[in-house]
Amino acid sequence: MTVIAELQDIRHVYLSNTPLATVALQGAALSVHQGEIAALVGPSGAGKSTLLHFLNGLLRPRATGHVCVFDQDTGDPHSDIVALRQQVGLVFQYPHQQLFERFVGDDIAYGPRQQGHSHEQVTETVRWAMQTVGLDFETFVDRHTFSLSGGEMRRAALAGVLAMRPQLLVLDEATAGLDPRGRREIHHLLRHLRDEEGITILLVSNDMDEVAELADRVTVLHEGQTVMQGLTREVFADRQRLAAHDLDLPAAGEIVHALREGGLAVDLGAITVAEAEEAIWQAMTR
Amino acid sequence: MDHPFIRIENLSYTYNAQTDAPIPALRQINLTIARGEYLSIVGHNGSGKSTLAKCLNGLLIPTEGEVLIDGQPTRNEDALIPIRTQVGMVFQNPDNQFVTTVVEDEVAFGPENLGVPRDELRRRVDDALIATHLWEWRKHSPRHLSAGQKARLAIAATLAMAPDCLVLDESTAMLDPVSRRNVLALLQTLHQDGLAIVAITHFMEEVVPADRVIVMERGQIALQGTPRDVFAQHETLDRLGLNLPPAAAIARGLRQRGIDLPPGLLTTQELVRHLTQGKGAGA
Amino acid sequence: MASYDALRHLAIGQYIPAESPIHRLDPRAKLVATGLLILVVVVITGYLTNLLMLGLVLGLVLVARLSPRYILASIVPALPVIIVLALLQLLFYSGGSESTVRVLLTWGPVRITNAGVRMVIVSLMRFVDLVFLTSLLTNTTTTGALTHGMESLLRPLSTIGLPGHELALTGAIALRFLPILGEQLESIGQAQASRGVSHQAQSRWRLVRNARQLAALIVPLFVDVYRRSEEMVMAMQARCYQGGKGRTHLNELRFTGADYVALAASALLLAVAIIAQRVGIW
Repeated sequence: MTVIAELQDIRHVYLSNTPLATVALQGAALSVHQGEIAALVGPSGAGKSTLLHFLNGLLRPRATGHVCVFDQDTGDPHSDIVALRQQVGLVFQYPHQQLFERFVGDDIAYGPRQQGHSHEQVTETVRWAMQTVGLDFETFVDRHTFSLSGGEMRRAALAGVLAMRPQLLVLDEATAGLDPRGRREIHHLLRHLRDEEGITILLVSNDMDEVAELADRVTVLHEGQTVMQGLTREVFADRQRLAAHDLDLPAAGEIVHALREGGLAVDLGAITVAEAEEAIWQAMTR
Repeated sequence: MDHPFIRIENLSYTYNAQTDAPIPALRQINLTIARGEYLSIVGHNGSGKSTLAKCLNGLLIPTEGEVLIDGQPTRNEDALIPIRTQVGMVFQNPDNQFVTTVVEDEVAFGPENLGVPRDELRRRVDDALIATHLWEWRKHSPRHLSAGQKARLAIAATLAMAPDCLVLDESTAMLDPVSRRNVLALLQTLHQDGLAIVAITHFMEEVVPADRVIVMERGQIALQGTPRDVFAQHETLDRLGLNLPPAAAIARGLRQRGIDLPPGLLTTQELVRHLTQGKGAGA
Repeated sequence: MASYDALRHLAIGQYIPAESPIHRLDPRAKLVATGLLILVVVVITGYLTNLLMLGLVLGLVLVARLSPRYILASIVPALPVIIVLALLQLLFYSGGSESTVRVLLTWGPVRITNAGVRMVIVSLMRFVDLVFLTSLLTNTTTTGALTHGMESLLRPLSTIGLPGHELALTGAIALRFLPILGEQLESIGQAQASRGVSHQAQSRWRLVRNARQLAALIVPLFVDVYRRSEEMVMAMQARCYQGGKGRTHLNELRFTGADYVALAASALLLAVAIIAQRVGIW
């Protein structure tokens, strides 16, 4: 699979040269492959959100580090950041930080309008984006942006980014604070985008169950450094190392380990509830 | 005097009640909460859980019906201060609750408002900081705390008011799993010390240590009972779109394949116990 | 994105912990002393007096173990506006009521006078003085102490109905939220930039364009502020806030010798400044 984004040795200090300086990243790395759903995990404060900002040029490598996204080297001052921001759609953690137009339709249309599309194209794109996220066009296009409920705002923010037709969609804790139904809907949507629209997805998440269900590959960040990288199953197979970085396995994984420790000869390696159930069944009927 | 600690009678609440776009949030809720009880309230966003929480300490006054704390109705404005010292509330976003810039000042804010004398004040602040493991951070700014520590600070600030009941409105929703566990452990300790806890959450695993669970749906109580009883009602939970805690979900699947497991099974420990004793029991 | 972390960089309002004689002063003494020193700055109009004052204020900043460079860095975003104003003063101020006005240059409506030059230079010095003095107060005093001090000073006025504690608390909360709102503004700017709003290649000098883009940032910020204040009000009600009446305090304020010295010195300085102005020492 082709690599569409490659970040190496990324460093960043907030408020450097002031008494309040904090190190956010000190040697982080990340790679994203075409067509996959990748996950970036790590304890809070590990620097995950900061690393995302390097993907679309909000932050650029200075003295050290190398960033190559869609063949653009963002360390090069002549790189086309405007084009990059159309290709990489970044959805921020809190929807109300992203929305700023008075009417929902205008906000979602912002991106395509900036790109210079015709009125018909823009309307068509907005319609598609709203339909994809589950916001009915007629009902929501003229609603006041800040009168929406939390869940609706989240969808509107996502639609606004989708309307730019990105090839890589990056979501910063897209499901934090959502109820189980909301979380399921987002998961369904992400799979749809990957399968039907060919969009590559990178998610930042605290929720190991979510990562186990969705992600093909996982990168683990701890204290500003990348400490583990690889296929989801491989990463979750190393429970000890994850624990050393303050991370749990998905719930199903923890359960299977507990059963093994209790004496049941169950295969370790299950990371979802369905897999755990199957593995236990196999162990019980051997 | 023998009345329940908190009694809710025919409670209805409608937002924007006097306008032409009223939003009913609670419909005819009847509920009692005993002293020292650990109650979990779950439900989807929009089910009314948060509204119910705010009715418990008079932040919202019922549109219809009554909420009585230790016999005092929340409609009675003069009773609001005593009610709020008995029922303390912790919100979801700690940053929006903090009024000061020093941890111990934050904890002191509540009792200071009540005019608690200085020696007692010092004692309460120290006790609350120790209980929430924030003693070493008492002179720091809340900005230096991690998300989990901030959540504990919000709890400490409420504990210093010496309440009989702690209401937590999705206080763990934005936390990472480790911090969430720490907060839950703290709640269990407080419960063991006699504090009543009303915890609103949509994480099903958090419901397990509760004495009682209430499932809300569209402003009404859809299910009620001990965690075991409630989680045994698979069809209803499916219909409401709610998950089981992982161990219970696995047990359900195994039961369907013929393995004999009690229907109220909830925790990993129980699963281990049942599966490693009678190995191969089933089919 | 440099311009949007301006609020985060704001030295004004952020408590910077350190061990210094100024940190240790009672907040009431600091508040009154700052007020007196600001009056001094307002009163003096000459080169010499302002130079001396600037030196004194700089000295105080160093005694407080603060970094003058860091404090000055917070003015940088406002530089274009300051320079425009200074220029206008320089070009058009014609000396008011002074008898020794000498015109240095004329060109059409523009008249540069020696009084104008003095006004500009003195104004700039005063501005720097004020920035240093406010930073001196807020960087060495926690907002809790400031609130307590302010409320204590305003307490006598509560007999005529002035809500001292509420005012002081409101001010303290506002100060406390400045860095948080700064971060919010930064996030909002980043989110908009990610969707193609080009804040790129904007130097600080494109005033009109920056103003329009600032407006697009302000709306979500206002919504955020509104939401936060609603939550904060509920939290304060839940903790039984009833204003200043009947409140006790965890840490009592107590005056020491150093506080009396600070007050006396500031009052003395003000007296000297007034006399110097009268007598004509500039």
